[in-house]
Amino acid sequence: MIRLVKVSKSYGDTIAVRQLSLVVNQGEVCVLIGPSGCGKTTTLRMVNRLIEPTAGRIFINGKEISRVKPEQLRRSIGYAIQSVGLFPHMTVADNIAVVPELLHWAKSRVAHRIDELLRLVGLDPLEYASKYPNQLSGGEAQRIGVARALAANPPILLMDEPFGAVDPLTREKLQAQFLRIQQELKKTVLLVTHDLDEAIRLADRIAIMASGRLVQHATPEEILSRPTNKFVHDFVGTDRALKRLSRIGVASFIRPTHSVKLSTPMKEVASVCERCHWVWVVDDDGKFTGWLDRTSLPAANSVRQAMVVGDRDEITITKNATLREALSRMLGQGFNSIPVVDEEGRLIGEVSLGDVEAATAKMEP
Amino acid sequence: MGRLVTRDSVAISGSLIGLASLLIGWLTLKPSRIAAGTSLNLFESIGWVGGLTVLGLWLACLILSLTGKKERSAVTLGILANLIVIASFLLVGLFSGKLLEGEAQIARVSLGAGVWITLAGAYVVIFSARQTLRGSTIWRNVVSWAGLAVLVFLLIEGWFQDISIMTEFSGREERFLQELMQHIFLFGGSVAVGTLLGISLGIWATRSRRAEAPIFFTTNITQTIPSLALFGLLIAPLSALSFAFPVLREFGIRGVGVAPAVIALVIYSLLPIVRNTYVGLRQLDPAVIDAGRGMGMSRAQIFRKIEVPLAAPLVLEGVRTASVQSVGLAAIAALIGAGGLGWFIFQGLGQAAADLILLGAIPVIVLALLVDAIMRTIVRVATPKGLGKGNQ
Repeated sequence: MIRLVKVSKSYGDTIAVRQLSLVVNQGEVCVLIGPSGCGKTTTLRMVNRLIEPTAGRIFINGKEISRVKPEQLRRSIGYAIQSVGLFPHMTVADNIAVVPELLHWAKSRVAHRIDELLRLVGLDPLEYASKYPNQLSGGEAQRIGVARALAANPPILLMDEPFGAVDPLTREKLQAQFLRIQQELKKTVLLVTHDLDEAIRLADRIAIMASGRLVQHATPEEILSRPTNKFVHDFVGTDRALKRLSRIGVASFIRPTHSVKLSTPMKEVASVCERCHWVWVVDDDGKFTGWLDRTSLPAANSVRQAMVVGDRDEITITKNATLREALSRMLGQGFNSIPVVDEEGRLIGEVSLGDVEAATAKMEP
Repeated sequence: MGRLVTRDSVAISGSLIGLASLLIGWLTLKPSRIAAGTSLNLFESIGWVGGLTVLGLWLACLILSLTGKKERSAVTLGILANLIVIASFLLVGLFSGKLLEGEAQIARVSLGAGVWITLAGAYVVIFSARQTLRGSTIWRNVVSWAGLAVLVFLLIEGWFQDISIMTEFSGREERFLQELMQHIFLFGGSVAVGTLLGISLGIWATRSRRAEAPIFFTTNITQTIPSLALFGLLIAPLSALSFAFPVLREFGIRGVGVAPAVIALVIYSLLPIVRNTYVGLRQLDPAVIDAGRGMGMSRAQIFRKIEVPLAAPLVLEGVRTASVQSVGLAAIAALIGAGGLGWFIFQGLGQAAADLILLGAIPVIVLALLVDAIMRTIVRVATPKGLGKGNQ
């Protein structure tokens, strides 16, 4: 648990952080967000004493951090930053080993830990352990950055825009991975970002800051539905409803759907299509391959001939997706329902535009 | 896959330089060591057979380099160029003796411009062959060093004893060795002190904003003082100092001699080392240092494990520049009585004996090239893997 009590930091006449009090509970992801210069990074860096507060006290698990030697404190806190800061002259393995070695772990334990962490962040140890940072892509480097922060298994993680320096697609993957890892490890995380979508996706609680002050500290749902003042209201923006959709998973909205196989005889297809305008097409393993429009039936003599082939990655969503992603696919493809598949790409159902509308209507104004 | 056949323009230039060298004097016959001599053309110098051999070798080089840049032709080209080096110097050594037969005892034969230019041309070709032979280490080394090895062997065996520069050497062997050691001591000692001082100043400049400007102002200014002037300027204060504190003289600190020479050389070696240390430390990605601090590395650990290995290549590159520069500058130190290979140069200048000048100048050049090669190897070894371009 991290507890900040009336913490202030000033540089001469400029006050970076004013009287900030904040609690991050055990196993909780707290995202610090706000416009640039609001003091969020300063706040983060005070927690591992990279910056010393001018006033106030900070406690970690009840212990005041000013009583712990800075180096010792930092070795017990994971630290990941936007520019990653991997040591260019060390291999991936050596980079991950930095803190364990500072803590004098046994060699075999370190080696074992490196393997474990690379697997955790989804990189093959055989391929990546001996690589140098300049042989990594941006996304890979950020994963190694996270692995390095987790190396000594610290209970607390400080992350300063850890997924900032990569393209949107990679960022989305890294965020999903972070959520999966966090579900498994249950660290106490303080994360700084300026990306509201990221905050809404990752946070258990969001702390919005402005000019060094904490403006609102609440769950994403609450911040979206009940902004505490005009600043938060404006910061959250006018697409609040859309943003709230990204907190709702599609799982409970999946409904059964009609589908035909590639090998289904045309006669049967015609009977299925009597009940609807189109059907999804799957292959013999049940994997999504495209769709079939009723109007194209008379001219064709097989499913393969009549169907429109669809890119699985562009059209389908998995059951872990959010309603926002589902909606975005529908709008992008011009469909009023979107197929949901499992990890192997097998069709398990669909989500319809009507369901998304209903979910929006149910949200508090 | 079809390979692009590109003309080897470097080897072509080398061959043309070589052919041109055949048109000018190869040997000079002088009635005495300081008299003006008569320049002898290629055939007068090394005879018809010798001259035609060298001419043939150079023509073969030119034709081969015109046919394109291939791995196999590069080996042949490299061997040819080495043969030219070996043949030229074998013939020059042989014929210098013959030319002196029947001449007065004090007559001398010295090397003309033609020989040196042929040597230069041959090494241009060898350089080009080396570039093409990236793949095979064995052939690259053979091509690079074979000719040079034979030359060193011939030199030690006394093959060139009738050439004037070696005549100057004979009788001065001990002196030569002594001045060579003195030269190495002068530049080696100065660079060692300069490195320690320069790295410290460089680190200081990165750590303190107040120190940064004066450090660079001073090192930059001193670099602009002409070397001869700096040697001279140091004489007065050092003399005064040694007169004021006679005890200093017992440590060899006087207005002339080794003390002012070493001080001047140290001052000159400072700028490249200070500058490279400063840049080496400043160019480090601040995120790397921040990550180190954030993970709980102490100031000393960050310096030792991050800053030193990452800045080392640049710092050593500065030491290399300083070393090569100091080898040359140390030659001037002889003027203020510090000795070194410069001694032969200034003696030769005084006596108007060109070959005595060369006896000092050529070893300085060889020494500079040698120091450069050694330092390059050190820089390469000290560069951590993972720096430079990513190689997948």
